[in-house]
Amino acid sequence: MILTKNSFFTVLLLVFSSNCFSHGVDSNTAHFLTTTEGAAIVPFLYIGAKHMVTGYDHLLFLVGVIFFLFRSRDILIYVSLFTLGHSITLLFGVFSHININAYLIDAVIAFSIIYKGFDNLGGFKLLFGKEPNTKIAVLIFGLFHGFGLATKLQDFDLPQDSLITNMIAFNVGVEIGQCIALLFIVTLLGFWRRHKSYFSFAKTSNTLLMTGGLVLLGYQLTGYFTTI
Amino acid sequence: MNTLPTASIKSLIFSCIASTALAVIILLIAILPAEYNIDPTGLGEKLGLTVLAQTHDEGVVKPAVISCPDKADEKTVDDGWQDSVMITVPPRKGLEYKFHVNKGEKLEFVWKTDGSTLYFDFHGEPQGNTTGYFKSFKESNQSESSGTLEAPFTGSHGWYWENKTNKIVVINLKTRGQYKIKGLM
Repeated sequence: MILTKNSFFTVLLLVFSSNCFSHGVDSNTAHFLTTTEGAAIVPFLYIGAKHMVTGYDHLLFLVGVIFFLFRSRDILIYVSLFTLGHSITLLFGVFSHININAYLIDAVIAFSIIYKGFDNLGGFKLLFGKEPNTKIAVLIFGLFHGFGLATKLQDFDLPQDSLITNMIAFNVGVEIGQCIALLFIVTLLGFWRRHKSYFSFAKTSNTLLMTGGLVLLGYQLTGYFTTI
Repeated sequence: MNTLPTASIKSLIFSCIASTALAVIILLIAILPAEYNIDPTGLGEKLGLTVLAQTHDEGVVKPAVISCPDKADEKTVDDGWQDSVMITVPPRKGLEYKFHVNKGEKLEFVWKTDGSTLYFDFHGEPQGNTTGYFKSFKESNQSESSGTLEAPFTGSHGWYWENKTNKIVVINLKTRGQYKIKGLM
């Protein structure tokens, strides 16, 4: 099996690694994806989970979404909508071979972070008197995040046999990774929320969230325009 | 849904300007120089960040092939072999070298590295197949290999080599038979 313990050490390198394969998947994983035949449930679960845990753009967006969600029930609703959105487009994108430029789709994902930061700062309420439906927004951005996942997987000629099994395994892996990541985010935010500083720093936090989104947007768009 | 209770237009504008300014600074000073070798301020070079981007194109060794096709008047190729090629595999990278072989025709080969062991997968992909299907003939970690392939189908046949070491590995591949060289993929 190509997925050795090396994969664990390449997790950190993944973030800004640029190699002969597409960005977002390291060469070990890439090699696995291009040479595997048939169903490989556990490896695909692992790749999916790893993609989410190391996917700082997905995670920043989630931080933005749950920043002002204080009840577990709300967190569950919004995260489910996000999951529904990205599962639809991940499966649909791979099955119907929709392949959007990875830089562009990542730019939209970066934009979703900016949007959420701006929304948390009360930007929409101030400018338009009300904020767009936040549930619909999270669902729509979930759809874009799913296209991002689909695009990255399709950079490899995936074997057609057992495609469904492997895709579902990858998707379930993404959700496992998301649960693990959320566990950390919710716990950390939960601790911080007990302090007054959470609210006095809310403006700073969301301004920094927007900064993160803008940096990613610039990074992805530069990548797009320098590679076409 | 909650937002900031004390939000005002003034603080919103401030947040937007601050985040944009910070993002532009981070991009100009660190990310663009380090990722794309775009360095409008010159600071990236002073900080040594552009080195990172150069490794993408100039700094590191690229996969390379030096071909020595067998001509009657050349003595470069060992007796009997049709083609001989030196393939450079950069450290911690993998590459593919392929031949087009028709069904039933033969590709006789021998390859040897400069000593290092490489992971390799000798495989074939049927012509016109876009599903990514391939048939693996041999997969191993070795520093040399030889044999004859009788193509089970018409298509692209060859090796994926992966250099897991931190130094350059050069492969000398010699072949003969009925094929067309597709080369480095």
